[in-house]
This record gives sequence, C-alpha cells and structure tokens, in this order.
Amino acid sequence: MESDKPVDGDSGAPLNEDRRDFLETGTKALAAAGIATACWPFIASMNPSSDVKAKAVTTIDLGGLAPGNVETVEWQGKPVFVFHRTDEQIADMRSSQTQIDPEPDEKRVVKPEYLVVVGICTHLGCVPNRSGPDGWLCPCHGSIYDDSGRVIHGPAPKNLAVPPYRFDGERKIILGKA
Amino acid sequence: MNCRPLCLALLFASGIAHANTVPLADVTLSTDADTLRRGAETVVTVCMNCHSLKYIRYRDLLNIGVDRDDLNLWMGDKDLNAPLLSLTPEDMARASYGKVPPDLSLMTAAREHGGRYVYSLLTGFYTDDDGYTNNHVFPGIVMPDVFGYSFAGTKEDQHQIENNAADVAGFLQWAAEPNAGLRKKIGSAVILYLVILTALLYLWKRRIWKDVDHDTGNTVRES
Amino acid sequence: MNGTMSKRKRLQKWIDLRFPLTRFVKHELTEYPTPRNLNYWWNFGFLAGFMLVMQIATGVFLTMHYKPDAAEAFNSVQHIMRDVNYGWLIRYLHSTGASAFFAVIFIHMARTLYYGSYRAPRELMWWSGQGLLILLMATAFMGYLLPWGQMSYWGAQVITSLFGATPVIGDQIVIWLRGDFSVGDDTLTRFFSLHYLFPFLILMGVVLHLVALHTVKSSNPSGITLHAQDNIPFHPYFTIKDFYGLGLFLIVFCSFVFFMPEFFIEPDNNIPANPLQTPAHIVPEWYFLPFYAILRSIPDKLGGVIAMTLSILIFAAMPFLDRCKVPGGAQYRPIYRVMFYVFIVDVLTLGYIGSQPPGGVLTTVGEFATFIYFASFIILPFTSQWENRLLARKKDLPKEALKLIRDEVEERYGDSAREDMQ
Repeated sequence: MESDKPVDGDSGAPLNEDRRDFLETGTKALAAAGIATACWPFIASMNPSSDVKAKAVTTIDLGGLAPGNVETVEWQGKPVFVFHRTDEQIADMRSSQTQIDPEPDEKRVVKPEYLVVVGICTHLGCVPNRSGPDGWLCPCHGSIYDDSGRVIHGPAPKNLAVPPYRFDGERKIILGKA
Repeated sequence: MNCRPLCLALLFASGIAHANTVPLADVTLSTDADTLRRGAETVVTVCMNCHSLKYIRYRDLLNIGVDRDDLNLWMGDKDLNAPLLSLTPEDMARASYGKVPPDLSLMTAAREHGGRYVYSLLTGFYTDDDGYTNNHVFPGIVMPDVFGYSFAGTKEDQHQIENNAADVAGFLQWAAEPNAGLRKKIGSAVILYLVILTALLYLWKRRIWKDVDHDTGNTVRES
Repeated sequence: MNGTMSKRKRLQKWIDLRFPLTRFVKHELTEYPTPRNLNYWWNFGFLAGFMLVMQIATGVFLTMHYKPDAAEAFNSVQHIMRDVNYGWLIRYLHSTGASAFFAVIFIHMARTLYYGSYRAPRELMWWSGQGLLILLMATAFMGYLLPWGQMSYWGAQVITSLFGATPVIGDQIVIWLRGDFSVGDDTLTRFFSLHYLFPFLILMGVVLHLVALHTVKSSNPSGITLHAQDNIPFHPYFTIKDFYGLGLFLIVFCSFVFFMPEFFIEPDNNIPANPLQTPAHIVPEWYFLPFYAILRSIPDKLGGVIAMTLSILIFAAMPFLDRCKVPGGAQYRPIYRVMFYVFIVDVLTLGYIGSQPPGGVLTTVGEFATFIYFASFIILPFTSQWENRLLARKKDLPKEALKLIRDEVEERYGDSAREDMQ
C-alpha cells in the first residue's frame, strides 16, 4: 500500500492505530500459535509409538544361567549382557581399579553375583564379544572391558552402560522402566 | 453461481449411497466408562471363546478403567502386551462352524451403523417355524444364540440381554477406534479456534478492502 | 554498505545481489496485478495448492509407519490408528484430504467453465489443469489400494481389468500393470512407489500452471480484460482474502476430520482384502462416481472404457467448441448459463447412478444422463454461434458496454470477428 497512515474510507479521518494493531497483531499471533500447534502432531508421531514404549520393559528369567556364564538378551532393540559372576570374579573386580573411567564395582551392580550391562561399545556402537576367560573385546577397534564392564583399554571413553533394572524375587530381573 | 442446490444435491446423493438394506434397531448406544467396562467383561469372558480382537491388547483395557485384578484373571499367563485372541484355534473353529468367527476389533466400523448392527444382531435371534435358530439381521447365521435372546422367558430376561448387547456394542465401538474420544475433544478445540481466527481474518479483510469496496460500491455481497 | 541499514535489510541486499528474491516476490506475489472484482470462486486455486501441500505432508509422515506389503499393510494402518502418536489424526487428515482435494478441484473447474476462463488466451492453463486432474485421479486411485481393505482390493481389481478392453494387447497390459495375474503384493508395492512419486509430478505441473497464469493473468467475473488501473496488488488484498477463505474451508474440512471421518471410508474397507470373496456392492470413492456411471452405461466393455476416457478428455476441447465471441462465460450468455446448470445437474445425477447397483430404471436414467453429458459438449459450437447472432442483435445494451465488448473482441480475434457479430 502506498500511504503509511491508513485512513477511514468514508470519512477520510485517520484510522485508530490501536484498533488496527490489535486486529493485525492479534490475528497474526493466533495464526502463528495455530500453525505451531498444528506442527506438533507430526513431530510427535515420530516419537516411539505406544507398542514400542510398552516393549521398553523386559523380564529376564535367571533360571538357566550357571555361574561364570553370560547371557545376551534383547532390550529396546539393544543387546544386554547378563553375567552370572563367580565369587572369584566378584572379588577380582572389587579389588581392581580402572584408569580410563574409574568406577567401583559395587556401584555397577544391584546384587554382586549378577552384572547387567548394555552390550554396546561406548566408542562407536559395536557389540563386544566375550574374550577368553574374562572380559569383553570389541572387534571393531579393539576396546577391552573387564568383568565389571569397565573399559580397561581404549579407544572407548566410558564403561559399558548399566541400564535401569530391579530384581523381582531371586530368579527374575525387570529390565527397564515403564 | 448459486451453491445451495449444489450442496444439497451432493448431500442427498451421498446419503442415498450409504442407504441401509437391513432394518436395524433404533437404539442410541453409549460409550461411557461403565458401558465400556461391562462390555469389556462380556466380550473377554464370553465372545472371546470364539472371536478374537487382535488389534486390542490387554494393556489397552486398562485405559477404559478395567480393574487390574479382573484383568489379571482374564490374562492368565499372558502378559499385558499380548493381543486379545480367541480361545478357539482357527482350525478347530473351521471344523465346528465351517468358517472362522470374524475378528471383532473393527466389526462396528465394517458395517453400516456398526454399533446398531451389533446390537440388532445379538437381539435378532429367533426360532423359526422348523425349530431352528435364525437371525433377523443375518439370515442363515452360523453363530449360536450366545445370550439366549431367542428363548428368553420373561420380559426381564429380554431386557437383561438387550442391556448386555448394548454394552457389547458400546465396547466394540470403542475397540474399533480407541482414540475416538480424544479425536472429538481435540476437534471441539480446533473448530472453536478456527471460528475465532476466521472471524478475525474476516474483520481484517474487510478493513483492508474498505477503500476498494467503497469505490466499487460493494457492501456485503460482491459480484 | 550503509551503516544505518537494519540487519534484515542488509541480508536482503546481500541475497538480492546474488539471487532475484525480492524482485521475484514483488513481481509474482506482493505487487502482482490482480483484477479488483474477483469473487470468492477465485479462492479455490489457492485452496487446491494448500490441499496438495497438506496431502504431501500427511503422506510423508504416514509413510514413516506404513508397510507396503500385502501381509502387513492392513495391520500397519491399524498400527498408525492405534499406536502411533497422533497417527489417527494424520491418517484422517490424509483420507479426508483426498476428498477435500477433489471437492476443491471440481469447484475450481466449475468456476473456470462458468466464467469462461478456459478461453483464449488461457487454453494452456486449461490443458495443464486437465493434466493435473488426470495425475490427481491416478494418484487417488493408487492411494486407495494401499490400506488393502476389501474395497481397496476389489476397486483396483475392477479398474485394472478395464485396461483389458484394449484391443489385441489388452490382457498383457493388465498383467503388466498388476505385475501378477490378479491384484497382489506386487501391485501394492508398485502402486505405493508411484503414489509417492505422482504428487511431485503434480507439484511440477502446478508450477507450469502458475507460470501460464502469470503470463496471461487472472480472468475475472466480467470476462473482459480490465484497465491496468482496475488491478490491485495481490498483497494485501488477495493474501488476506485467501487466508480468510482458507479459514472458512478449514472449518468445514476439520468438521469432517474430527467429527465425521468415517463418512469417506467405506465400511467394507475395514475388512482385510480377501481375494476369494467380492463385496456385495463395489463402489469407488465419490469423486469417481460420475465417470464410473458413464463407464457402466455403455453395455460394451471397450465402448464403456472409451466413453469414460472421453468423458474426462473432452474438456480439453472446450476452447475450440466454444465459438461465442462475447467475452467471458455464463454471466452474459443466457444459453450457455442454462447449459452449464444442466451439465452440473447431469453430473450429480451420474454421480448418484454410479453409487447404486446397476439395473432397473436407473440404467435408463444413466444412459440418458451420459447422452446429455456428451451432448452438452457437442451442441456447444452450435449454441455458441447462435448466441453470437442473438447478442449481436441486442440494441438495448448501454453504448459503453457495447464498445467494451467490441474492443475486447477486436483485441482477441481481430477485425473478422467484428463482422461475425454484425
């Protein structure tokens, strides 16, 4: 529009600036709010759906796991190592300290006989393999983890992650939070 | 261009296209919390002997206020994420009935006026002249008269079955679209918002057009 | 750079030296000259563009969860409706959106026919629009198979088998289209691929359509090219008018999405596809009904297919069939106006016929309606010539109007046309 000051078409008198502002800014604000709100369902639809969220909790039966053995279970699409440790292995871990990401073994377990860690290397995400009698070795770049899942040789920067879990009696672990 | 005859004609045509051929009971069904709870119980304990509702999981029943203890009883050794499956395996059903009882998850959506259809079917059983059980809504139906409408003794018994059928129909309506309640709630807010926004847009439009409309002598109606 | 310029203006200038952004926006949008007398029937082009964007957006997000596999498709749609956050909303927007898109396009076409906006120099707009309509119909047809319901399956089965009417190679074409002897998993995956592709072809077609529009500029209800000073800038006049129209449209659209979404979903489509059992009553979606009725009204299979194809393509001939030299459309042409309304009623009748099972008196009505449909086009050259002579005899029009008309005619058709009008 050419003129800056709007005038009333009939009388030629200047239009009330405040009234004009309310209508313009009010409408623009309402429209902007509406557009933002309308975007939300699309963004939210990309979040995990309700069936995926339900699988966020898995129950593990410890019945068949003998001491010294590791079982790999799937949780949220990821591998989780459940390690039934012998007393020797527990004592070993209690008495050793690591340099790269120091953490006492006590802090990494609920019950010392069972180590539950996410089996994903903290370097770039490969799944480490059980290495001989003790520890894990990541095949991608050679990171080594001890029997507490702590990194003792890089390039991994952090220990294997401990997921949220709790015991349901002596024989069951509830992995994950609802 | 006058649009009104156009719009009416379109509405008329679409209405006819969806016309029903089977007379259904003129019943209004509710989907309130109590109906859904009672309907869930009937469907899970009675209908699921033969029918499955594979798109509903036990977990979903918690959302309509089913008691957790009742649910545990119904689940048995299944977990919350298991779908509601029929107790009769398909091959056994085929052997007994000649066909597999249809899944009920979408039954009310798969029929015209589906809720009324289910209600009318459950209360449509009768004994014909030859002594066989038949159904007004689905002649030649293979499903047995599970609620016993065709041999209901008293008016009270009939009434009881009709209430039961209404609960089942209401529950199945929920099962066909669990998000329907949320949809309508959001819909009211959206329409309200749009009415306000459109009114503001109209006022703004009138203001912007004031000088043009003045020159062309337009008032409310433009050519 | 001028130190007193705002950051925004500096950025704008930086871009404008490298890319004609401001010039383009000014020339094609904000200062674009638009006839001041456009009425609300001119809103529907914008609404169509809006629907295209809406369908693409909802479609892309649906694809994130949909499984184009015969064994999984139906389940994945239920997964979207029940488990995906707001999946039900995106699905209903898309399914209702298809119907809304066609409603808008049909009204847009009706406006063009009524006001004669297909006439010179807007023929390419009309034909590009027609190409867009055909692409849209193909897109909708293929999209309808994707939920893999009973109606999806059998609708696709019936319509793909129509191509078998092609002489000599008919059967091979059908098998080639389906990728199988009957509609199956291969049909589903290729329809999915093309259903995702076609909207982007439509998008490109819309660009061409708009380029043509900006070359000849909008027509207007009077049919006469206005003086330059009777144009007003598109912004703010028509931006606000388009948004207001959009608001009205969304109220109607959202009423369906949130309160009557099942209105456009056939109950039979809530039953998973069963290749061994055809539903009692096969009905295409409403926007195909008139053409479906025309198809069925010709007893011969090939004849029916030809008639149906012709019923869509014949619109292209409008610029040639219409011989009237009076500018514009039904506004000032009483015979054309009657023909227009008869045609609309006829199309609605055909739509109703298409929705009903064949047989009885409806078959005869359908045949008659098909005849009227094509007759409307065929008699147009004669009725429009008749109108020329009728209007040339009109002495009671004001001198200014006569002069306007004669000037317009001379500009468009040259001196020879003036003689036609004497």
